[in-house]
Amino acid sequence: MKIVVYLGTGGVGKTSVAAATAMQQARAGKKSLVLTIDPALRLRTALRLNEGPLEQQVTLDPAPAGELWAALLDVRATLDEAVRQYGKPSSVERILSHPIYATIADSLAGMQELMAVERIDQLSRRGFRHIVVDTAPSRHALEFLDKPVAFADLVGSGWVKLVGRTYRFVSSTGIASLGRRTIDLYARIESVLGANLVRQILDFYSIFVSIAEGYADRAKNTVAILKDPSVTEFRVVTTPQKALRDAAFFTEALRARNFPLGGIYVNRVWVHEPAHDSGEGIGRRLMDWYRAVRESQTAAVNQLRSQYGGAAREIRVIGELERDIDGVEALERIAVELRMAQGA
Amino acid sequence: MSLPSQSAQSQIVVFCGKGGVGKTTVSLALALKRANEGRKVVVVSSHPLRELAVAVSLDGLNTRFPVAAANLFVVHLEPRDLIAEVVQKTFPMEWVVNSILSNRIYQSLIEVAPGLKEFYFLARLQQLAERRAEASGTPDFDLLFWDAPSTGHFLGTLRAARNFETFLSGPLAAAGADLARFFSNAARIIALPTTTLEEMAVTETLEMCAALEKEFQLAPSAVLLNMASPLVDAEATEIEKLQAAVGAPSREGMRFALDRGLLERARASDIASRLRVRMVTIERVRAWKDDLDLLDRIGQALGAAAPA
Repeated sequence: MKIVVYLGTGGVGKTSVAAATAMQQARAGKKSLVLTIDPALRLRTALRLNEGPLEQQVTLDPAPAGELWAALLDVRATLDEAVRQYGKPSSVERILSHPIYATIADSLAGMQELMAVERIDQLSRRGFRHIVVDTAPSRHALEFLDKPVAFADLVGSGWVKLVGRTYRFVSSTGIASLGRRTIDLYARIESVLGANLVRQILDFYSIFVSIAEGYADRAKNTVAILKDPSVTEFRVVTTPQKALRDAAFFTEALRARNFPLGGIYVNRVWVHEPAHDSGEGIGRRLMDWYRAVRESQTAAVNQLRSQYGGAAREIRVIGELERDIDGVEALERIAVELRMAQGA
Repeated sequence: MSLPSQSAQSQIVVFCGKGGVGKTTVSLALALKRANEGRKVVVVSSHPLRELAVAVSLDGLNTRFPVAAANLFVVHLEPRDLIAEVVQKTFPMEWVVNSILSNRIYQSLIEVAPGLKEFYFLARLQQLAERRAEASGTPDFDLLFWDAPSTGHFLGTLRAARNFETFLSGPLAAAGADLARFFSNAARIIALPTTTLEEMAVTETLEMCAALEKEFQLAPSAVLLNMASPLVDAEATEIEKLQAAVGAPSREGMRFALDRGLLERARASDIASRLRVRMVTIERVRAWKDDLDLLDRIGQALGAAAPA
């Protein structure tokens, strides 16, 4: 099993680089899948991505030696599937129609991170051995490793069970039978959050507990795989403007978790030589501006190489495309650049 | 959380848009410019995690911009702290407060209660906007900037006050209704969608503006076009001349800059025709020494065209 995880902040083109990596693997004869979070419309169309839990095979021309597959991380659909697959038959409908369930996918901070791990588990059960993961566009993308572990610890410690049991007990016997301290605490929490809300959430937990336990077990296994450096490689995608800041942040975040930094990919670099005879007027102004921006990009990349050349396995530059070709054609071009950089 | 008096008319300027377009940088740049002009500015950010809030460094502010340093305030509101504060205010005894805050059931309720954190964040934002010195009655701040989270979370935050009513009854639900009114009052909320001229960012900006209009009756005051090419604001005749002159393969960099610039120009005019508000172009900064220098240069690029 090989997993490549791309990390990066918003607007750096992480999804395209991830998809191009999977495409390159498919061309090299692998059955490869890219798991993406929120692709641009044209990339979505090119990858034939639908909302929902299913992965799609992407047809390429010419056909690759292997296979290219794509899947979308749809938090709600992934959660629905987990409920249907692992919930007690008697509670599945109660869970799915619960008012708290309706909001949990959006409101529970880090739900995306929790579900990414669940989705990787689903995919590996379906036989995918080469998975490229495009994480949420933020600097806290590594949370998708921390959150499931924290969640599993909570579930394992029995607090969910306790909440569930307490709630069932209270609703069947009335609140008066609880210990005085517990009543006090409930009353206080209710007075802060509102009684209706607290009861709804407790009710939800009482039926959701078995799902949460099953999830926690699977998440522990998946995170262990992701933490195995012989299986998983972490790569950072950035742009020249953000390169030094992002490299500093992610290098430290990975180091703190004992993960090796695979590579840093500086995307959207202006690689074309500026023209020398730019004439007068707007042409002159445009070229002066272009040259200056390009020089500061080059300086940033050089500084990145000298500072992180030792820490990162590799540092690659990917040129910015001059037009909108976000579809398969754009991926092919990025894949070519990735190959070229690899050969160099 | 009571209804503000209508005479106050405190405004909140909201920098909103897709992740990675430069909302934090642009809001800080404009804040620096205004603070340097002597106005008291507070920039409030609300990223879900504290460590992401201010990735832009203000190192050197005191020595290089002493006037701004005295007038510029950057605040990160941590929703969990805000809720803890409510608990502290509700219960006067410290051991009660501690037993609640350290309770795991309470902690998990805070995480899953739909919109609770957003609700308290909005309440504090409103409070900051309304706050004024007791003696003179003048506002604590001349300008309040909200460096909003990326589109989805931003709209989710605005919806929170409204959705809260569904789950609650009593005083909190009433407060939610108050908040919902405050944050859909066009006289109070100055929306400044910020975008780069890239396809995804532009699409998201248009969708966000449609949602703001439909759900909150808020129209943008201006749209900030960040990191733009010099061609975006160039004269059409000049561009025609340039297009006629470029073509030889030896001028690859020019071809690239021209193609990208024309694309950005087309997108800028697309946004302008759809939203019918003022476009403020911020040319991509060529080079800068450090974060503070970048903010200063963006502030200059905004020039007199700066809204708010």
